[in-house]
Amino acid sequence: MLKFMRNKTVGIERRDKDTLWAYGVLDDDIYGVELEVSIGLGDMVIRSIEGRFKRWTTPECPKAIPVLQQAVGFCALEEGFSQKVQKNIGRKGCRHFANLLVECCSAAERAASLIQGGKAKKIPAVSKSPGGKVQKEVERHPEKSPGKPRVDQAKDRGGVVIDLHVHTYPASLCSVANVDDVIVEAKRIGLDGICLTDHNYVWDKALVDQARRKHAFLILRGTEITTDQGDMLVFGLETPIQGIIKLDELRTLISEAGGFMIAAHPFRGFLLFGTGQLGLTPEKAKERPLFNKVDGIEVLNSKVTEKENRFASEVAQRIGLPGTGGSDAHKVSEVGFYATRFFSRITNEKELIEALKCGRYEAVAFKKEKDVF
Amino acid sequence: MPHILFFTRNRSTSVEHIDGNSVSACCRLQDSLMDALVEIKVQLPDLALTDVRGELYRSDKAFAPDAMESLRRAIGIRIGPGLVKIMKGLVGDRENMEELLNMLDECCQGVILSFTKDTLAKAPEDREKAKEFYSQLLKENVRLYDSCIAFAPDSPLVEGMKPPQV
Repeated sequence: MLKFMRNKTVGIERRDKDTLWAYGVLDDDIYGVELEVSIGLGDMVIRSIEGRFKRWTTPECPKAIPVLQQAVGFCALEEGFSQKVQKNIGRKGCRHFANLLVECCSAAERAASLIQGGKAKKIPAVSKSPGGKVQKEVERHPEKSPGKPRVDQAKDRGGVVIDLHVHTYPASLCSVANVDDVIVEAKRIGLDGICLTDHNYVWDKALVDQARRKHAFLILRGTEITTDQGDMLVFGLETPIQGIIKLDELRTLISEAGGFMIAAHPFRGFLLFGTGQLGLTPEKAKERPLFNKVDGIEVLNSKVTEKENRFASEVAQRIGLPGTGGSDAHKVSEVGFYATRFFSRITNEKELIEALKCGRYEAVAFKKEKDVF
Repeated sequence: MPHILFFTRNRSTSVEHIDGNSVSACCRLQDSLMDALVEIKVQLPDLALTDVRGELYRSDKAFAPDAMESLRRAIGIRIGPGLVKIMKGLVGDRENMEELLNMLDECCQGVILSFTKDTLAKAPEDREKAKEFYSQLLKENVRLYDSCIAFAPDSPLVEGMKPPQV
């Protein structure tokens, strides 16, 4: 017997010589939604949109209908259109409307290419240039006082607390946090340092050093790399990895570089259910081959549930791998929620990697411990 | 102009829970220009893809000769966030793979929704009790917060709750 079925249908009508009209229906076991979308034939820009719910879940779902108007003006040919719809219509309204809108526009795009003889072309998105932006930020606020890095104060206590997992914009397009703001916040809440771990991006060392001097704060570099076996936080890699890499290949690169690799949020579940509901036990989970390839496991990550963090911690203990903590911050306010307390001093990346390999550290709920929000 | 459709599309995704250990899903896309199918088999509890198969019955676009075979690179990957990104990376620049990857994604989404359905089926019909039910879900799962309008910070379902401390 089928457990779930989703049917989506879209019909495209040419209303006049300049306009395509899409009527779409998404009907599955959970939701029933309809859309009528008018799209410019020449530019593939959404001119108008109307939506209806036939079936929904929470009492609040119908409020998503007015949100659809935010899509008016979106261009279906723009690179990243689907992500833009998910962000603006899905997250702010309803993901099922977003899904159907993408389907309607994809069908309209195919129809337009048919009419225009395959002339519809993707419009490239604005390229990201994190280095350039950071450089500008740093230049705009020249170093006022070189000062000593804050970590020097921490040395006296014999250790440092570092948020090992931080994303900034535009190095990570999914982040909305400006690097300078992140650093200011990290200092405010009392962290001793942060590690910039943008997705598949290696920060220019000179830029990071510049920011470090400017803010008199310990800023280190890492990278979050997507592999076929999930996301990995890596330290010690100087060359960015483009695209997806096999975990085995990444392991080789990290070993050659003398670096360190951590399985990031290894048990991140889904919106309405976690891996526990699927019957996954720590005993079964520790058999995952990826754990033979990593040096550590992120056991505190603020984007997963407490249960999932506990689960990761249990698995790490059973395998005997060290556990780290990091906020996985994508917003300034998220920095330092979780962090890693090292029992030795760290003033640079070499010392960070040595400390990680040494294993003398623990994951900490930093903000809760310090009661700073 | 007569209201004759110029282009039509049907996309149907179905999920079957075969037994306690495995799930299969199938996405069939039929539109004016293309007819294709992608099927997956998934092992529980890891949600690891154990088999992926694709068929192309009709298309206006040229596909790489190994397009369907390349889908099999997904075998071993676990269903989870970023699956399409991972697949795109593994399949590389093969021509016109985007739609086949979307179909693979639809299959994976279907698998996730088949489990989500079980959770949602427990929601009470009474409006107040439903509110409590969804508020409780939110408390148990930080990811729901601000994930859609129902769980936006100003939603009544979030009322009285501190935003997750992230």
